[in-house]
Amino acid sequence: MSGQTLTARSVPEATAGVRARPLKIVAFLCNWCSYAGADKAGANQLPVPAELSVVRVMCSGRVEPTLILEALQQGADGVMVLACHPGDCHYKEGNLRAFCRAELLERMLPQLGVDTKRFCFDYVSAAEAEKFSRITGEFVERVRRIEEHH
Amino acid sequence: MSYPKTSVILCTCSGIIGERIDWDRVRELLADHPSRPIFKVDELACGSDNLETLAQWLKEERPERVVVAACSPREHEGTFRRLLGECGINPWYLQLVNVREQAAWVTEDPQAATAKAARLVHAALNRVARHEPLHERSVPVRTEVAIIGAGPAGMQAALTLARAGRQVTLIEKEPMIGGLPVRFDELFPNLECGPCLLEPVMGELLHGPESAHVKLLTLSEVTEIKGGFGNWNLTVRQQPRYIDPEQCIGCMICAEVCPQRRANRWNCAGEIAAVAVPFAGALPNLPHIDAGACLKLTAGECDVCLAECPVPEALNFEDREREHTVEAGAVIVATGAVERPDLPGAFAGLSDVHTAYSFERLIASNGPNGGELTLSDGRAPASICIVHCAGSLDPGEISYCSGTCCRAAHKYAHLAAAKVPGIAVTRLVREQSMPGVEAGRQYHHDHSAVVRYAAFGELQLRDGAAGREIVLPEGRSVAADLIVLCRPVVPSPGTAAAASLLDLDLDQQGFIAQLHSLSGSCATSLKGVYLAGACRGPGDVRESFATGTAAAGLALSDLVPGRDLIVDPQVAAVDAAACAGCRTCLQLCPYQAITWNEGDKVAEISDILCHGCGTCVAACPSGAIRGLGFTRAMLRAEIEGVLS
Repeated sequence: MSGQTLTARSVPEATAGVRARPLKIVAFLCNWCSYAGADKAGANQLPVPAELSVVRVMCSGRVEPTLILEALQQGADGVMVLACHPGDCHYKEGNLRAFCRAELLERMLPQLGVDTKRFCFDYVSAAEAEKFSRITGEFVERVRRIEEHH
Repeated sequence: MSYPKTSVILCTCSGIIGERIDWDRVRELLADHPSRPIFKVDELACGSDNLETLAQWLKEERPERVVVAACSPREHEGTFRRLLGECGINPWYLQLVNVREQAAWVTEDPQAATAKAARLVHAALNRVARHEPLHERSVPVRTEVAIIGAGPAGMQAALTLARAGRQVTLIEKEPMIGGLPVRFDELFPNLECGPCLLEPVMGELLHGPESAHVKLLTLSEVTEIKGGFGNWNLTVRQQPRYIDPEQCIGCMICAEVCPQRRANRWNCAGEIAAVAVPFAGALPNLPHIDAGACLKLTAGECDVCLAECPVPEALNFEDREREHTVEAGAVIVATGAVERPDLPGAFAGLSDVHTAYSFERLIASNGPNGGELTLSDGRAPASICIVHCAGSLDPGEISYCSGTCCRAAHKYAHLAAAKVPGIAVTRLVREQSMPGVEAGRQYHHDHSAVVRYAAFGELQLRDGAAGREIVLPEGRSVAADLIVLCRPVVPSPGTAAAASLLDLDLDQQGFIAQLHSLSGSCATSLKGVYLAGACRGPGDVRESFATGTAAAGLALSDLVPGRDLIVDPQVAAVDAAACAGCRTCLQLCPYQAITWNEGDKVAEISDILCHGCGTCVAACPSGAIRGLGFTRAMLRAEIEGVLS
């Protein structure tokens, strides 16, 4: 699908320890719930890690695992996919597709030499500004610990 | 790749963004971006004066792409798309960067906020270079509405639409309209007469000033529905009535003289003539002939009705099944619900055991007994036992509460006591649900004995000294000459058929799935298909009228004469050359927007039905589906930018 070959050599673990640079975290947010929750976190001026860059998609179901792997391959230290809570998907069930893909991806990552802790799938509603702030902070810390460990 | 000329508007949001983000520094950092961006800092880009200045600037610069770094696209994407449109730039050549909510407001350190903003703008520059011009498509829509089911919900929807001048085709499988409550003498909670409530509605539909807008097809069932929002095409099969509605004067002499009888399924008891109306007062006021019972149509040897009919040409024995094509912009499904038809073992096949429906007909003044409450042998019952939750709230049968039976049961108790002085009335109760202000009166005026039971399957019958009794497991017995079982309310066969024809999702109980149970209960996932009445789930007459109005309102607001449907171009599109024909996407689409082209062996997506979620885009193993506005190339470019 990607037209590129993903190898263990190209993912973070293979090059870890040789760089001392700020973390790069990519977060895919669905437009209706998690992006709205992030907007609310902004409006409430809650802290969100500067290392986190948001990529907006209309639905978490749009995020194919290849995009996540490509992000890791291109130097992302961690990737989040945040979706509407089960039952709340604006498109009925896109979040459940995203959940299934996340489950599969988590099993696949170790085979590619990637620590599964570098990937996070979670649910954030349009009201959960505080949760968005908290889990993004926790995720960045989690990835930071992996980096320090190496 | 070559980068198109890109203008970048950097908004300070009246200083709110400017406080944390140093736009001069961002300009320095991005000056070498291959798109050679042209920057302009604006105090408040969304302000009306500022928009005019920006429009002037864009007209002078004539960029090919525009990036706006400001606030959430959820707030102002539309504003800036319009700005581009006014400047002669395709509105989808825009990328809005949310630096306010995602950097300025959430990053305390201005240096970190500035670096993040630069990263996000960089990503937008990468992304917008891959944007393609998109165009809103305008599709003419039909404004007629087809309604399936002429019960209270369907009739109310039809009348609401007709009053607004809309052409309506109302399709009813029975020979008459009015649904179930027109057959009930009294309606809860206020014991209003059902026919009295509904006859004015039916009269207006059939003969009122707006009746010209309503085409009624009785004895009709939909056999196929094709098309989509704005352009549905329904095939309707109509059974012959053998009566010419233009000629018949509705005197019913034919029914009086007809020598042949058939079982009266509307009454669940007794017989009617082969040519008859289902019950007195049924509308339209036309008899119909049961071809299976009529001697002339079966043996060819009877002319009694023809001889007696004052307008003999009204009888048309040459009448044949007809097929109608109905074109409509929207379909309202109002196919209703029924009580669960089977009776559990302990009660099956016994005399004087009624369901709610057969009891309603038994006590109806136009029913089999002329409104008298008697046992099948003609005696007055000394006792009546009304069993609530007869199969409901029961994991073995129906797990939910139908929500209407308790109010009906209180009504039966009241009517039985009024019709048979001295009758012993017992309500066998598992749970009681009496919602609503008016039902409270029913609840407090009830004088029946109330006995609690635990499980419907444990109830037994026996003949006691004073007559039949229902025996509870603990040995207690309740006199039950006449028994009324309040069976669970389940989807009608018509509801299942409509769902199947339209490929609509069902909920766990088999009712048609609502778009949203709270905020979209009269809409479905299929645009242009609306729901009214109990096809959505068990409900009362009030809810049927309310949801009939609501469904009509949705049709009116979605189908406006002279207003085309504007199709959002940010949808999924199949590259037919790349489609491998695996059909993976067909099962994924929540909106039935994807169809299989058998001729070319490829999937096709209707831009009208597609909501643009992109689930199919992500799932296509061949990468043959493009999510317009969110293509793989755009997302990759954005990811590359944020990782730069």
